Amino acid sequence: MQRDLLELGLTRQEQQALQNKRAGIFIFQASWILTFVCLIVVNWQMRFSPNWMPDPNDRLGVVIATIATAILGASALLVRHAVKVVNNQNLSEFLRLWLISILLGGIFVVLIGYEWVIVPTGTQYAQVFRVMTGFHIVHAVSIGIYLGLVYVNGRKRVYNVNDYLWAVEAGAKLWYFVLVAWLLFYVVIYWI
Amino acid sequence: MATATYPIGGLQTPAKRPALSEYFRWSIDHKIIGVQYMVMAFVFFIIAGGMAMLIRWELLTPAIDLMASGSSYNTLFTLHGTMMIFTWIVPMFAGFGNYLIPLMLGAKDMAFPWLNAFAFWLIPPAGLLLIAGYFVGPAEAGWTSYPPLSTIYSPDGQTLWALSIHLLGLSSILGAINFIVTIKNMRPPGMGWFQMPLFVWATFATSIIVVLATPFLAGALTLLILDRVAGTTFFNATAGGDVLLWQNVFWFYSHPAVYIMVLPGFGILSELLSVHSRKPIFGYRMIALSSMAIALVGFTVWAHHMFTSLQPELRIPFMITSFIIAVPTGIKIFGWLGTIFGGKIRLNSAMLFGLGFLSLFVIGGISGMMLGSVPVDIHMHDTYFVVSHFHFVLFGGSVFAIYGGIYHWFPKFTGRMLNERLGKIHFALTYFGFFFTFFPMHMVGIAGMPRRVAEYDPQFQNWNLLIGFSAFVLGFSTFVLVYNVFVSIYRGKVAGANPWRALTLEWQTSSPPPAYNFVGDPIPFEDPYGYGTDASKAYLEAMEARFGESFNPEKPKALPPTTPTPAPEPSAGD
Repeated sequence: MQRDLLELGLTRQEQQALQNKRAGIFIFQASWILTFVCLIVVNWQMRFSPNWMPDPNDRLGVVIATIATAILGASALLVRHAVKVVNNQNLSEFLRLWLISILLGGIFVVLIGYEWVIVPTGTQYAQVFRVMTGFHIVHAVSIGIYLGLVYVNGRKRVYNVNDYLWAVEAGAKLWYFVLVAWLLFYVVIYWI
Repeated sequence: MATATYPIGGLQTPAKRPALSEYFRWSIDHKIIGVQYMVMAFVFFIIAGGMAMLIRWELLTPAIDLMASGSSYNTLFTLHGTMMIFTWIVPMFAGFGNYLIPLMLGAKDMAFPWLNAFAFWLIPPAGLLLIAGYFVGPAEAGWTSYPPLSTIYSPDGQTLWALSIHLLGLSSILGAINFIVTIKNMRPPGMGWFQMPLFVWATFATSIIVVLATPFLAGALTLLILDRVAGTTFFNATAGGDVLLWQNVFWFYSHPAVYIMVLPGFGILSELLSVHSRKPIFGYRMIALSSMAIALVGFTVWAHHMFTSLQPELRIPFMITSFIIAVPTGIKIFGWLGTIFGGKIRLNSAMLFGLGFLSLFVIGGISGMMLGSVPVDIHMHDTYFVVSHFHFVLFGGSVFAIYGGIYHWFPKFTGRMLNERLGKIHFALTYFGFFFTFFPMHMVGIAGMPRRVAEYDPQFQNWNLLIGFSAFVLGFSTFVLVYNVFVSIYRGKVAGANPWRALTLEWQTSSPPPAYNFVGDPIPFEDPYGYGTDASKAYLEAMEARFGESFNPEKPKALPPTTPTPAPEPSAGD
């Protein structure tokens, strides 16, 4: 609510710039998610390979991945809540929630990184698994670093109110992207 | 009376042309970035064209004589194709888009000026990587880079090739996001979707293809690089990999990429034909929407490039979709013919190239339909018929559109007219040079001459002599344009704001436009192609009253040089 009032106070150019940023990040997400879809296509096509998974026991179990997924989901929910909080200009509560989200994201990365390390190698399944999870981890870490920067800048109060709101909004949207990309991978890698 | 009707805001006198040094450094002005794109692309065009000349020189005789080996020849056509596509046509159209889209929309700049500059500056290093590859063991797997040629049989230059295309793809995506947001959010009051110039529609459709297709190329290139440097075996059949995986993902990008390379040309053609026929565009909505239809259907045809390796039961569906995509293209062709029919046609250089596009692209389209047919394709696959087809589309189509666009908008870019006599010489050499280079390739292709070979059966030599010498004429013709551009920048007739008396907004400001393009919000005319009405005449008169007299190509009279005024101070938020 507070945010809407703030946006009404923006100049025409500032409102235009904000609209542009929102549209831009949406199109970027719609575009870049297709690199993940491309890897899903790769996963699907490589299943026809004779070297896909000669030993069915090579397939990793779902337990660790499911826990990781739940943690990432919780992290994204907290980010969503943090955005609501900061829109009401409760900065200290925002920083607390934001930091917990980042830490949960870190736990997710560690868990999936562990899976990346332990997957039995020498099969097409393993190399597709490693490429998919590795590609996702790169995104999670990069965007996680951005969330960290928002946190640090928030603590230092370096933003003006409007910039700060956009920085948080962009970070949240990117983190949702990490979640959606992972959910696609999680279903394909572990359940199908 | 007319001046009161159209209260256009804008500078009344031309701005000073930017200093030359500004084009060699970081700038967030969309006009400078547009010129940077165009000039850089043209440099790559000259380099890749030089490679084409070497290819034709080698093919003057059936034996391999100019090249040291077949590998050298492979390198040549690989770099030629890659550079023509990724560092000439695609960035050249991006240059037109960058310069023109904000002007056509009455905007001060693109939605994301910094991102715009960043997207451009990814291209020079990518081009240098391509060229650097030549010195570390050049890529020689063709622009399609099919494994295993591009994996186990290619030297390190192939890795640099893949990295280069990665950068170019990222640049394209960032540029396309910018175009989409600019077009969606920054149209002026009074300009709805169906009052946009058709070049804007074409760029919009192209950008949608870019953001949806290019990520697949990124995925495929990542796997290719991993296979080459990290020991993975995605495309290595001996280790359980699948070479068809590359073909599927690559063509899922690269067939839509054909439309990335030709849709902006369609947009340019729509502008040229309407302005220089002095007639409203025929079937505006259908032409606009057919661009969107091409963008969508373009995603369903990729496997027609793989008819010879595709499962037989999948061939017919892809043949049908390949035929379907001819429908929206045909709609455009009929729309353009309807536009010029009965028009007051000015046969200037821009229009000649426009008409040249129309005639040559139709031939390329028809040969495309032939190749879309499974039995014909299986016979013609990898012959010179295919080479002929895609050059009719990409040179007869895209490059002719680029040339037409240069003649049309050069006065806006520089404030000077290009020399018409040189333009017509350029057109004649290009048209006939092109036709006799590429049309005979149909014949040698049907007779069975394979593409991508340095040695061929002596029975084809006479055809190859004709093709070779015509290609040299075509190559020479480029320098007529280069000469014309250099001479006209300094000695060309002063153009004024609107020498073509066009109705789109880029002409309703000085030439070249000032920084930030307009002061205040310009009011677009109700119909960007509404020529021949009293309202449009009143609008144009109002413009002339505001911006001064423009050069009139039909009654040539030298205008006095105008005194440049400093650019306006940007307002808050710029």
